Amino acid sequence: MAKEFSITICDGTGCIQKESPNIRHALTRELAKQGLTENVRVTLSGCLGMCEKGPIVVINPGYTVYGSVTATDIPEIVEQHIVKGRPLARLAIQEDHLYNRFFRVFGDTKFFGKQMRIALRNCGIIDPENIDDYLSLRGYEALAKVLTEMTPKQVIEEIKLSGLRGRGGAGFPTGLKWQLTARAGSVQRPEGDEKYVICNADEGDPGAFMDRSAIEGDPHTVIEGMIIGGYAIGAKQGFVYIRAEYPLAVSRLEKAIADARERNLLGDNILGTDFCFDISIRLGAGAFVCGEETALIRSIEGGRGMPRPRPPYPSVEGLFGKPTLINNVETWANIPVVIVDGGKWFATIGTEKSKGTKVFALAGNVVNTGLIEVPMGTTLREIIYDIGGGIPDGKEFKAVQTGGPSGGCLPAEYLDTPIDYESLAKAGSIMGSGGMIVINQDACMVDIAKFFLEFTQNESCGKCTPCREGTKRMLEILTKITDGQGQPDDIDKLERLGGMIRKASLCGLGQSAPNPVLSTIKNFRQEYEEHVKDKKCRAGVCKKMLTYDITEKCVGCMACKKVCPVAAITGTAKNRHVIDQKKCIKCGACFDKCKFNAITKA
Amino acid sequence: MLKPIDIIKKKRAEAVSRIVGKGYLSSKRVYVGMATCEIAAGSKEVMEVFKHAVTRGGLTDVYLSQKGCAGRCNLEPTVEVIEAGKNPVRYGKVTPEKAQQIIERHLKKGEVIEEWTID
Repeated sequence: MAKEFSITICDGTGCIQKESPNIRHALTRELAKQGLTENVRVTLSGCLGMCEKGPIVVINPGYTVYGSVTATDIPEIVEQHIVKGRPLARLAIQEDHLYNRFFRVFGDTKFFGKQMRIALRNCGIIDPENIDDYLSLRGYEALAKVLTEMTPKQVIEEIKLSGLRGRGGAGFPTGLKWQLTARAGSVQRPEGDEKYVICNADEGDPGAFMDRSAIEGDPHTVIEGMIIGGYAIGAKQGFVYIRAEYPLAVSRLEKAIADARERNLLGDNILGTDFCFDISIRLGAGAFVCGEETALIRSIEGGRGMPRPRPPYPSVEGLFGKPTLINNVETWANIPVVIVDGGKWFATIGTEKSKGTKVFALAGNVVNTGLIEVPMGTTLREIIYDIGGGIPDGKEFKAVQTGGPSGGCLPAEYLDTPIDYESLAKAGSIMGSGGMIVINQDACMVDIAKFFLEFTQNESCGKCTPCREGTKRMLEILTKITDGQGQPDDIDKLERLGGMIRKASLCGLGQSAPNPVLSTIKNFRQEYEEHVKDKKCRAGVCKKMLTYDITEKCVGCMACKKVCPVAAITGTAKNRHVIDQKKCIKCGACFDKCKFNAITKA
Repeated sequence: MLKPIDIIKKKRAEAVSRIVGKGYLSSKRVYVGMATCEIAAGSKEVMEVFKHAVTRGGLTDVYLSQKGCAGRCNLEPTVEVIEAGKNPVRYGKVTPEKAQQIIERHLKKGEVIEEWTID
């Protein structure tokens, strides 16, 4: 039957210390005593971001938040709220924050319970094409607050206080970047010279869709973040660089920009002040390298999207040679929350060095694929098993790939790694922009590494030699290995070459391109060795390593002989056939054709 | 002269009244996921069914809106039915046929179709 109420108990670290497990027991007991177990759903949530007032209990419908709850309060809460339907005023606290808006609609499901939504707070909640929806949920209040009572310097201080770091993957402190860009104008350039703000929405990692979903679900938060950025550094013009393959995101963004202009939130004299700022959209043609900031800037300028050496960093010399503040979509989406809910609050979420939340596109061999946002410090295990629901079809977990083609594969022993920039880097992968692919036992790690390297090799712009030639050579070696032609020193060669490409490449694309290969060698070296020495692919993925054989089950029907495209099968009617291994091209046609299961592949 | 924060509060009040004017306070609100991923999974057709019901099918007292992607990729298209004083009901893998059923059974008669809901 449908549950009438749902009660969520915060199970974040702060509340656990304050005895949320006791509350849970008391609640289960009390509900059973009152015969209400069937009517109430009890769920646990991840940190709800109200640690100071914890332990927290939330009752829906109505989104009543109770703070400082103890086990002894439970009978009263159940009696008053659940039985009599009157929320208990004594413990109820008033919470009106921007983050976690989704919680009222989705908070009681397992998939969403452990999540905390800051950047995606309105995604799936509001109509993204209606500015009124955004305004009604305190939209553009952060902008108004900034324009009313904060100097640009104070805004930057607030961002610094929050500890927010770049969500594009590199994790550079956002506040510091803003400060550098703001200062660049006042010290090194004449007063009144232009500056620019850029939103990097050139999402290119295979399987990643965080930025697309964020813009499609809530375009105004990105726009609001950018206007605040413009105010903080003294820019009048912003650009969103987004790929043309995202037509819906582009059209929603266009509409949002037009609506914001109409409401005097963009354009001249914003909200009656003398601050002017406008945003234009630039469409990218889909080159992966254009996600790199200097290549992106070159592309906006009308040139060919290729990176250039840094320094000078864009904060000093960016778009059209002017100081430029460039941040990723997710970073921008966090800004309004930092301003309204406060940098100090924001800094309470996450780990020591990584604050706030991170959005991930959870994909691959996992039951619940989807877009998730979790507090920093959540472990890979919690994401894959609690939110993701584990590995489907009773298969075993083998690895998790984070950071897309720039990241690495982590095996089971790293499942308890907390998500933050440093821990993931230490484990041998990277945070990246948010791709997370779960891999089960059926995958060949060499093949996976080859897939990612193929991608980066294709996308290498060709400007610097280490990346252009190096990735090509690495791919050749990998192809050789997966074709069963690997030589004993190939693995060492890959490591040496990878290390060199990492160090010598011009931009992030090349510097990170060897990561998938190096991390799989580090964590799955045995599989590489099997490929090279035994010419064996344990997952049976690398086709050319397969051997097809005809067993005594063969009745001599000659069907396989007829279907073989290279005439590798010999034999006469009613006699067992033989495959000439030298001629065989491992196409598998005979295997598919045989009606007697007489052909084996190994 | 008004401060920006006062202007935005005024704009918010206007926004809320416009939303209310569009029927936000109807006894049921229905949200259909309309991000690229949802549309690819068939949400446009589902939306059409709801739209048709509201404009011509005699479905009254319902506020229909689109929304972005909530993140349940494997269960799309998703539809939420929100009713004051009740827990929100979330449907997954909604087809035009299921949408018709949701209209007939849930929206018109108040019966939650449990087997299609997301847990």
